[in-house]
Amino acid sequence: MNVPFGNRFNLPELGNDVRVAIFLVFKAIARGNKYTLVLTILVTTLAFINIVFTSSIMNGAISKAYQQAQENYVSNIVILPAIDDKYISQVRQLKTSIDTLPGVISCSSRYAQSGLIRYDPEKDNLDVREKAWNIKSINPEEEIKVTNLQNYMIAGRYLEEGDRNQIIMGREISGGYGASFQISSLKGARVGDEVTIIYGNGVKRDYKIKGIYNTYFPLADLNVFVTEKEMESVLGLHNRASEVLVKTDGSVPERVYIDRLKTMGIESEQINVWMDFIGYISGLTQTFDIVKNIVTFIGLLVAGVTIFIVIFIATVNRRRQIGILKAIGMKERIIILSYMLQAAFYAFLGIVAGLIFIHIGLVPYFVRNPLPMPIGLVSLALVRSDMAVAIVSMLMVSVVAGFIPSWMVTRQNIIKAIWG
Amino acid sequence: MPVEALKDVNLRINEGEFVGIMGPSGSGKSTLLHMLALLDDVTSGTIIVDGVDIERLSSIQKTHFRLTKFGYVFQEYALLPELNALENVCLPLMMLGAPAREYRKTALEMMETVGLGQRAKHLISQMSGGEQQRVAIARALVNRSKVLFADEPCANLDTKNSGIVMNLLRRLCDERKQTIIMVTHEPEHMRFTDRVIWIKDGMIEKEGKAECQ
Repeated sequence: MNVPFGNRFNLPELGNDVRVAIFLVFKAIARGNKYTLVLTILVTTLAFINIVFTSSIMNGAISKAYQQAQENYVSNIVILPAIDDKYISQVRQLKTSIDTLPGVISCSSRYAQSGLIRYDPEKDNLDVREKAWNIKSINPEEEIKVTNLQNYMIAGRYLEEGDRNQIIMGREISGGYGASFQISSLKGARVGDEVTIIYGNGVKRDYKIKGIYNTYFPLADLNVFVTEKEMESVLGLHNRASEVLVKTDGSVPERVYIDRLKTMGIESEQINVWMDFIGYISGLTQTFDIVKNIVTFIGLLVAGVTIFIVIFIATVNRRRQIGILKAIGMKERIIILSYMLQAAFYAFLGIVAGLIFIHIGLVPYFVRNPLPMPIGLVSLALVRSDMAVAIVSMLMVSVVAGFIPSWMVTRQNIIKAIWG
Repeated sequence: MPVEALKDVNLRINEGEFVGIMGPSGSGKSTLLHMLALLDDVTSGTIIVDGVDIERLSSIQKTHFRLTKFGYVFQEYALLPELNALENVCLPLMMLGAPAREYRKTALEMMETVGLGQRAKHLISQMSGGEQQRVAIARALVNRSKVLFADEPCANLDTKNSGIVMNLLRRLCDERKQTIIMVTHEPEHMRFTDRVIWIKDGMIEKEGKAECQ
């Protein structure tokens, strides 16, 4: 028997099958029940938003942590003293050389010294609050080019170069202004209050709190800063530093600078990219990535099951019709393809509606009302690769959800499909 | 325990013949029609159509056979409600890969043949039962089927529409030499056929010219 049609892999025939399937889908959607269409698209829209929203919040948190670490804590690159040294020497010359490197915006040196901060609000020795913290020094002129702390002052003012008996501290050390870690703080120190610092080398100095800042980033907010000149007088040092922070323009990855800095005679183990310097951040990133992947997977599963149920109900309701289509000579693959295309179409419209809602609704809302998290105020961060994965996964899941029920029904005997 | 729906049925239907199958409910007449039309499987025996043992065809070949050689008219019209009348009739030609202009022209001619040329663009829900059944006949014949199977085509129609449909089938047989195999309960319809086969308990009880019975 000559069967011109019926070859599974005949391209023109396959093309014609697709044409018939598209025709059926188009008519089913155009002339089908509009309420069902709207409801199905609504379900796929919500499923898509659920996936994108969760991963965007996670991305927002990761991005905020990166931003906070770079802008308010260690900038892009941190240079530390050699392993056997306590300080970097000839630091001014080093900074001048670093500033000449292409891509370097600026650099700043800091001293770091442990110290016991003593706070006696009533100065009567009855309610003395004291705790050891890391005291750091900054050159205010340099520091504002490298970090953004000056923009996060919630009370008082930022340090100036000539300040000798004044300090600024993070909200979490002051314990006031809505601090969250009050139990391990000075429990309410305010701008203008006096504190005493007993440095690790035994030097004892009194300071007035000039300003309190709050970046919402715990690592940055658990610091106390004095000026560089003050710290040099405490330590009896000059032209040295415990760390040098380097801010780059982001045109090349930070690791590229390691080679450039090595040519200046700095040993590679002293140079740290910000992410390596803060293991906490990479740990946080990994945790968020795991959570994001799990939640995305569950979201996809829920979306898939939802679309599956919708298509399954539609397919079961049309079982008789599928039987009739088979009876008049329609190939199973056309029927299955039409349901797969229909499911993909629902998913596509759901994705488009979801993207519109996300871009004109969710993102502007969260930009105006960021979520307060322990790492800062977090907004949605839409990452293209994550969006692409969500879109492709959603389409694939919907196609599978369209395939399974239609395949199940088309496998049935024609008479059974028609008469039940 | 398997039920024996038909047994020892030997039947020859000639090209261009209009055959009626009658019998009481449960006699096996619909089962016979389903097997002849490749809608149901035969457990034993052979069915030869146009020299082809159709039971030996693969699943995809059977599908193609149904599309190119057979037309089927169901009791309950069995049209796609999302398509208008013309689109329903176009469907078999589309499946065969005919160009759009060609299949629309052929389908429209078929609609004229069944007397529904003016109703081609109407949705199925806007048509009467008789009109829907005529659309179903047009769809069944649009691909120049060798055999038209009709399973109680007038069961849901009133007397007037039944008459229209039966006259149409008779005319198709006369003018186009269309082979028609029809299952019916109505003795009145037998006068439109060339030959009647009576089935009882899964066996052919008798057969002969309609007017002789």
